[in-house]
Amino acid sequence: MNKKIISYLIVFLGIPAVVLLGNTVFSGVKYVWFMIAVSVLSTVPFVISFEKKEHSVTYLLLIAALTALSVMGRLIFVAVPAFKPVTAMVVITAVYFGPEAGFLTGAFSALLSNFYFGQGPWTAFQMAAWGLIGFVIGLMRNRLKQSRALLCVAGAVSGVVYSLVMDVWDAIFADGTVLWSRYVSFLATSAPFTVIYAVSTLVFLLLLEKPIGKKLQRIKDKYGI
Amino acid sequence: MPKEKRFFREGGRRVVKAFAKFHPVTLFAYFAVILLFSMFIRNPVTVCLSLLGGAAFCSTLTNKREKLDDIKFYIPLTVLIAITNPLISHNGKTPLFFLNGNAFTLESIYYGVFIALMIIAVRMWSKSYSRIVTSDKFLYLFGRFAPKTALILSVALRYVPMMKAQAKKIKDAQKTLGLYSKGSYADNVVSTVKVYSALIGWSLENAVETGKNMKARGWGHGKRTSFSSFRFRAADAVVLVLLAVFSAAMLISLRTGRLAFSFYPEPTALPADPVSVFAYVCFALLSFIPFFIESEENIRWNCLRSKT
Amino acid sequence: MELLKIKNLSFTYPNCDKKALDGIDLSIEKGGFYLLCGYTGSGKTTLLKLLKPETAPFGEKTGEIEYSDVFGSEVSPFDIGFVSQDPNEQTVTDKVWHELTFGLENMGLSKKEIRLKTGEAASYFGIAEKFNCSTDSLSGGEKQLLTLAGAVVTNPKLLILDEPTSQLDPITAVSFIDTIRRVNRDFGITVIIAEHRLEDVFSLADRVIAMDAGKKIACDTPENVCSLLKDSRLFMGFPSSARIWRDSGSSGRCPVSVREGKAFIKEIFGEHIAEYVPEKSEINESPEALNVKGVWFRYEKDLPDVLRDFSLSVKKGEIFGILGSNGVGKTTLLKVLAGLNKPYSGKIRVFDKKIEDYKRGALYKSCVALLPQDPKTVFIKSTVREDLEDILINCGAKKDDARKKAEETAAGFGITELLGKNPYDLSGGERQKCAMIKLLLTDPEIIMLDEPTKGLDAYSKNRLIELLNSLKNEGKTIIAVTHDIEFAAAVSSRTALLFDGELIAEGEPREFFKANTFYTTAAYRIANENIKNAVFCSEVCAAVKEYTGKNE
Repeated sequence: MNKKIISYLIVFLGIPAVVLLGNTVFSGVKYVWFMIAVSVLSTVPFVISFEKKEHSVTYLLLIAALTALSVMGRLIFVAVPAFKPVTAMVVITAVYFGPEAGFLTGAFSALLSNFYFGQGPWTAFQMAAWGLIGFVIGLMRNRLKQSRALLCVAGAVSGVVYSLVMDVWDAIFADGTVLWSRYVSFLATSAPFTVIYAVSTLVFLLLLEKPIGKKLQRIKDKYGI
Repeated sequence: MPKEKRFFREGGRRVVKAFAKFHPVTLFAYFAVILLFSMFIRNPVTVCLSLLGGAAFCSTLTNKREKLDDIKFYIPLTVLIAITNPLISHNGKTPLFFLNGNAFTLESIYYGVFIALMIIAVRMWSKSYSRIVTSDKFLYLFGRFAPKTALILSVALRYVPMMKAQAKKIKDAQKTLGLYSKGSYADNVVSTVKVYSALIGWSLENAVETGKNMKARGWGHGKRTSFSSFRFRAADAVVLVLLAVFSAAMLISLRTGRLAFSFYPEPTALPADPVSVFAYVCFALLSFIPFFIESEENIRWNCLRSKT
Repeated sequence: MELLKIKNLSFTYPNCDKKALDGIDLSIEKGGFYLLCGYTGSGKTTLLKLLKPETAPFGEKTGEIEYSDVFGSEVSPFDIGFVSQDPNEQTVTDKVWHELTFGLENMGLSKKEIRLKTGEAASYFGIAEKFNCSTDSLSGGEKQLLTLAGAVVTNPKLLILDEPTSQLDPITAVSFIDTIRRVNRDFGITVIIAEHRLEDVFSLADRVIAMDAGKKIACDTPENVCSLLKDSRLFMGFPSSARIWRDSGSSGRCPVSVREGKAFIKEIFGEHIAEYVPEKSEINESPEALNVKGVWFRYEKDLPDVLRDFSLSVKKGEIFGILGSNGVGKTTLLKVLAGLNKPYSGKIRVFDKKIEDYKRGALYKSCVALLPQDPKTVFIKSTVREDLEDILINCGAKKDDARKKAEETAAGFGITELLGKNPYDLSGGERQKCAMIKLLLTDPEIIMLDEPTKGLDAYSKNRLIELLNSLKNEGKTIIAVTHDIEFAAAVSSRTALLFDGELIAEGEPREFFKANTFYTTAAYRIANENIKNAVFCSEVCAAVKEYTGKNE
C-alpha cells in the first residue's frame, strides 16, 4: 500500500478511533484531553509524509516565506480587530501548491505566530484547525481554480469554520466537558468577530489571489520550479 | 508589540534565567507535565497551587509594568467569569435569586471562580513557557525527528522580523506616493493590502535567492548533522527524576480518586486524607521547582556579593 | 601554482541573443587576490557564478573551466565560498551561531568539531559577543561579516565575492575589504572579488581583471591595467589618483592609491604651491522651498534624540547634499523632512506653509517626493509600465491618458525597453532610474533622495548626476543625504555634515571640502599640499597641466 494512503488512513480512521476509545476508557469529562490528543495526532502523519518525500530547497523556502507572510499578516493588520489575512493565505497556498503545502502553511502559521502571541495548549488545536482547512482546500483545488465564485465561498466558509472551531476550544477548555449553553454563549459573543473574519478572508482572497498567483507563476517561469 | 521584541532579545542582551539554562528536553517535559496537570485535575487545591507556582515563577520573568498589566487583566477576568458563569450554568443547590425563571446559584459562582483560576494558571505557565522554551530550543527538540520542518520554521522565524522591517520601508515609500492619503478606514485597508501584496512579491524573490544560497553552502550535499550547544547536566537528571516521582504520585492518587472534587449540586468536601495531602505536597513541590531554582541562584548571588 | 583555468568560456542566457560572456581565457593562481571590475551588465556576475557549480545559471555554455587537483575529483560546495551583494538574502537562519554552523552541519561534521571551528571563526572575525544574538539584530556590515565567516569556516580553497560592499557605507566597506585581505593573507585562500567602488580595493589587488561587454579586456597588476586601459570607458570608475595621472598626461608609473597619488603630485610640484582659480558661482536668490527651525525628534520616549535643535533652510532650485556617517540619523532626517516622522518640537515649513497644514496627503501631491534607499520599495506592481500607470491614475489621470503619458515619459527618459519588465529583473541602476521616474510623475517640487548612489557603478552614477542637474535647471529643489563624498561634491550646490543631531558644517562644496580633513574628496586629499582649492580630479589635472605647461 502506498504511503500516502496510509497517512490518509491515519487521519480519517485513526483519529475517530482515538476519540471513541478515549470515550469508553476515560470518564466522559476529559474532552480537553481528546482535543489536544486529536490535534497533535492529526498533525503527525502530515509531518511524517512531508519529511519522507523529496523536496527542492526552493519549495521548502517558499513554504517558509508563505508561512512567515501569513504571520506577518497577523502582525501587520494588528490594528484592525479580527481582520486577518491568515486564512486567506492558507487557502491561496493550498490552491496553488496542493493539500500538503496547504496543511503545512496553516499549521506552521499557527505555531509560528504563537511565538509572538503566546504559546499554550491551544497551539496544537489551532495548528490542526488551520492545517486541516489548508488540507481540505488543497484537495478541492482543481475545482476551486476553475471558479472564482466557488473559491470565494470556500474562503468565507473556511473563515467561519475556523472561528467556530476555536469557540469549541474555548468552551470545552473552560468546562472540561461539552456544555452547549457555554458554547452558544461563546458563539454569541464572538459572532461579530466571526462575521468580520469571514468577510476579511473573502476580501483578502479577492484582493490577493490574483497578484500572488501572478507572482508564483513568475517564480515558476524564472527559476524553473 | 512589546512581547515579540522581548522574544527576539532573548539570548543576547538579556541575562539568561537560571531555569532557562536547563536542557530543552527537561524544560519541555516539565512544562508539558505542569500544563497537563493544571488543565486536567479539577481540584481547587491543585489549581491554586499551580497558579501560585506559575505566578511566582512568571514574576521572575516579567518587569513591573507587565506584572501590573497582568493583575489589571486577570482580576476583572475572574470577576467577569464568576458573574457570567451562573448565567450559563444553572446547576447547583443554592439559588441566590431567579432570572427569567433560571436560578442564579452560589455553586455556579464558585465554579466560575475556579474556571478563572484554572485559566489564569494555564496562561501563567504558557507565558513562562514562551519565555523559556524559545524558538531555538523548540527547533532543537523537534529538528531531529523532523529536520525539514525545523528548517522551514527556522527560516520563517528569520523572515518575520525581516519582513516587518521591509513592510515598514514599503509603507513609508508608498505614503509619499499617495497611499494612505484619504484617511478613511477603507483607504487604510486598501493601502495596507497593496503594501502587503508588494511585500509578498519581495518575500518570494527573497526566498528563491535564499534557496540558491543554501544550495551554494552545501545544503542537500550528503548526510547532515545538527549542531547545538545544549548539554544535559546532572541538574537536568535531578529535575527529571523529581518530575517522574511527583507525577507518579499524582497519577496514583488521581487513579484512586483521592483528588476527586465536584462543585455540583453542592461543593463536596475537599479530600484531606493522608494520601491526598501527600499528593498536594507533591504537587506544591512540583509547581515551585522553577521558582526554587530561580530563587536559589538569586540567593547565591546575594551571598557572593555580600562576601566581596 | 595554478588553482583553476578558464578556457575560451562563453555563455548565453535563455531567450537572449547577446552573449553574456564571450571567449574568456583566464588563469587563477593559488593564493592570489583578484579584483574583477567592469560595469553592470559586463558579465562579472555571470562569470563568478559559473565558477561555482551550485550557483551556475541556466543557459548555453561553451568552453571550459578546469579545476586543478587541489579540488580533488569533484568540486564540493565547501571548496568554494560565495558572498554576494545583499546580506539579507544570504542569511539563512535566525541565530548568529546557527549561521556559522550551517555549512559545517551540511558537511556532516561531529558536534565537537563544529563547536571548535565555530568558536575559532567567531573569535577570528570578532563576532564572538554576538554569538547568541538573532541575525536580525545585526547591522548590515555585521551581517555581511557573518556571511563571510560562514563561507570561510568550511575552509574553502577559493572565495568568491560579488560586490560584497555595495550595500555598506564607505567606512564599513573599507573594514570589510581589509578583513577579506586578512583572510587572503593569513590562510592563503584565493580571493576573487568584483567591486564597483575601486578607490580602496584597487591597490590591494595582486591582479585586476577588467571586463567589458562580456569580454576580458585586461588582467594584470593594478598599475599595468591602468596603463593598458587608459582610453577605455572603464577608467571613469578607477581611483582618483589614476584618473589624475591619466588626465595630466599619464607620465611615469601610474599611482593607484592616495598615498602614491600624493607622491606623484609631489614629484611634479616639488615645493611649489599652485592655486586653482574656480569660476565664480552664482548666488541663488530664489525663495525658500524648505525651512526647518529647532526640530527635535526621537523614535520613542525613552530612546535618545536623533535630531537635536535641527535647523535648515533650502532655497528653490538648489541641490542640497547632506553627508554623514552610518547611524547618524540621515534617513531619519529625510523622513522628518518628508513628513513621515513627526518631530515632537520645532517647526517645518514647506513653501512657507506649515507641514501640518498639508492635509490628507496634499504634501505628496505635486510637492514633496522621497526616493528611499531601496528603490525596490517604490514598486508595487509586476511591471514598470503598470507601476507608472498606477501612480498616474492615483494622481487623477484617466486610464487611457495614463497609458499614453506613461509611454511618453518612458520614451523621454529612454527607458521604453524597460516598460514591460518586472522591477526585480532590472539592474540596480535601471531600477533606480525607473523609481525616480515614477516619483517624478507626481510632479514634485522638492525631491528628497536617500543614498541615491548605493550599489551604482561609475557610469550609472554619472547618468544620475546628469539627471539631477537637469532637474535642477527645471527649477526643482533636491535634497540628498549620502555618504558618498565624491557624489556630494560633484552634484550639490550646498553641502552640510550631519553630526550629533544637527548640521555642524555647511557651505558651498568647495569651501566645505576644503575645510575638512576626513570628509573630503580623494582628489583633495591627494593634491591639497601642492594645489590650493582643487577639489575634483579635473581641477587637479588642470592645475598640473598649467604648471607643467609653464615649466616647459
